[in-house]
Amino acid sequence: MKFITQLAAVAVLASGTQAVMAHHSTNGIYDQAVELELTGTVKGWKFINPHPSLTLTVVDEKGVEHDWDVSYGGSAVAHLKRRGYSIDTFKVGDQLKVKGHPALVKDAYGLLIEGGNPTHADGTPLALTPPGQ
Amino acid sequence: MKLNALKLAGLLLLPGSALLLGSPAASAASGDVPNISGVWQWGRCMDGGPGISCMLLEEDDARLTDRAKALRDALDEAAAPKYDCAPMSIPHMWTDPYSHQIDQFDDRIVFTYGKDDVVRTAWLPNSNHKKPAVNEYLYFGDSTARYEGGALIVETTHFAFDPQGLNADFRLASSTQKKVVERYTLEGNDLVLEVTTTDPFFLNKPWVYKIKSARDPEELALPWACDQEGAREILKLMPPKYPNDPTVVRLPAD
Repeated sequence: MKFITQLAAVAVLASGTQAVMAHHSTNGIYDQAVELELTGTVKGWKFINPHPSLTLTVVDEKGVEHDWDVSYGGSAVAHLKRRGYSIDTFKVGDQLKVKGHPALVKDAYGLLIEGGNPTHADGTPLALTPPGQ
Repeated sequence: MKLNALKLAGLLLLPGSALLLGSPAASAASGDVPNISGVWQWGRCMDGGPGISCMLLEEDDARLTDRAKALRDALDEAAAPKYDCAPMSIPHMWTDPYSHQIDQFDDRIVFTYGKDDVVRTAWLPNSNHKKPAVNEYLYFGDSTARYEGGALIVETTHFAFDPQGLNADFRLASSTQKKVVERYTLEGNDLVLEVTTTDPFFLNKPWVYKIKSARDPEELALPWACDQEGAREILKLMPPKYPNDPTVVRLPAD
């Protein structure tokens, strides 16, 4: 497992998904100027409303494990179902890679996914099948 | 199935129970009565502006009173009811990207929303609905409905004071004096909803917008069943607004 931080400011990542308003705003929660790529092990996957959440255990450069709360922002179960997600999408122990913006509160270990879906740790896409396809 | 949100409105019905109320077709088929029963997709602004902007009051919107801005700055985001699974009331609720269902009955209109298990009832003039008592204020207010010139008009008052009543993302509150008027018409196969919101405490002029929805071939994905622990999860990412105050320990999830 590896941990990569890109501290260089980047523009907001292009997102292939429709902007979603919902339960809360992510304004002021995540650092939109920083892009982070994490590779880690799935510790938990909650396919719940108001927002599904993924917990990823990541080992940092010092060898210390941290549990990252990976958020899909305002997306709810219904939105992720349309993208092919389900309660079985992730299993504990799966190795994933995910890109996004870290929480402004550094010790909180939160990440807002941007630019699509997580991938398997080797970069291959998840097998997501939206309804009707 | 968690339906706590329903208890907040006082005048609510489960979607399935709508079938017991009479014949929807009987009230939606004649004269000035538009047939708007069915499931409708999330509405989009008709003013030509970007996205859903017409439905959102911005943080410093010119229509906000100084009182609204002062309260916005004082309110602690973490205290917002949404983190306990409380739904957003109208008009902010329409900004959320979910379909809704309308059922027209002889004495009432039932609105079921695809988020937060919200069901509102608007009472037609021939109903036996009693106005709320003078000291009774409701999360979704008290709604009456009438048909007029091919439109369904719903007027709602008696809202409870709501710290997220005008915009739940920017801490824009609404008062007991909020009034929301919905005007539903058909434009071809589409549903047009014009919303007029007034609140003399927090708006210096009426806030009016129009949105258009297409019919949705899919049923609503209910129940919403909000997970209270999940709703609170993001709070740990928020720096405290009042760090000198004791740390807030919320009541256990239901």
